[in-house]
Amino acid sequence: MKSPTHQEVYKKICDFMGEDLNAPACKEVAEHLESCPNCKVYLDTVKKTVIICQEIEKEEKMPQEVKNRLFKVLNLAVDF
Amino acid sequence: MKETDVVRKAKKGDKEAFAELVTNYSERIYNLALRILRNREDAEDILQETFLNVLQKLDTFDGRSNFFTWIYRIATNASLMKLRKKRLGFTELPENPDLGPRHEERIIVDWSQDPSFNIQNEEIKKIIDTAINQLSEIYRTVFILRDIEQLSIKETSKILNISEENVKIRLRRARMFLRDKISEYYEGSVV
Repeated sequence: MKSPTHQEVYKKICDFMGEDLNAPACKEVAEHLESCPNCKVYLDTVKKTVIICQEIEKEEKMPQEVKNRLFKVLNLAVDF
Repeated sequence: MKETDVVRKAKKGDKEAFAELVTNYSERIYNLALRILRNREDAEDILQETFLNVLQKLDTFDGRSNFFTWIYRIATNASLMKLRKKRLGFTELPENPDLGPRHEERIIVDWSQDPSFNIQNEEIKKIIDTAINQLSEIYRTVFILRDIEQLSIKETSKILNISEENVKIRLRRARMFLRDKISEYYEGSVV
């Protein structure tokens, strides 16, 4: 069977990353990565991009006054 | 009490039940809007608009989707409307960025193990913030729902009312765009 091209692998890396990387559909990608340093680096840098973004975009505590204004707009009693 | 029971009570006009839904979801909705709009005042506007909408439309919620998906759809749509009104200078992503030859033509620089690439690095934060801001709405929302909020492809597709395949395509383009922005910075800073 013909090996997937780099381009096909890049596409699949992004499709499946975040999903189960051991899924059968990812096997082909995993096999390719073992023999292709360039694709491996590509996957690692995409993964790292997502990790850095998740850290930067961490949930921010909503200010108390924002909660208060929301409850007021909704005509609800503030219970906190 | 199960959420379906709280929703059922809120639909009947129970204010305490509605307040419980507001308490349970306000933090998440605020953060979702903040991530899409990248501005605290706008996030607060969307927060209020979302719950006013929920209050108005709750009787139309039929429970076929779960409440979480329903309210996320309302909040995402409201955020998108606001984003469209602002019409910032988005970068148009090429139709097939993944089919370009450039990745095959050169060695890809590996910065994934560089210890300076973390959130303490203010320059990286700035680059990512700018890059997310440059993403047009269709890519930004998918990236935020899927990668930042860590929802599934299925949930993302339901919230945005697009196919799962479309979620994957948009996600791939957004990830590649952001990755390339960091790479450009890295390659520029080590030369």
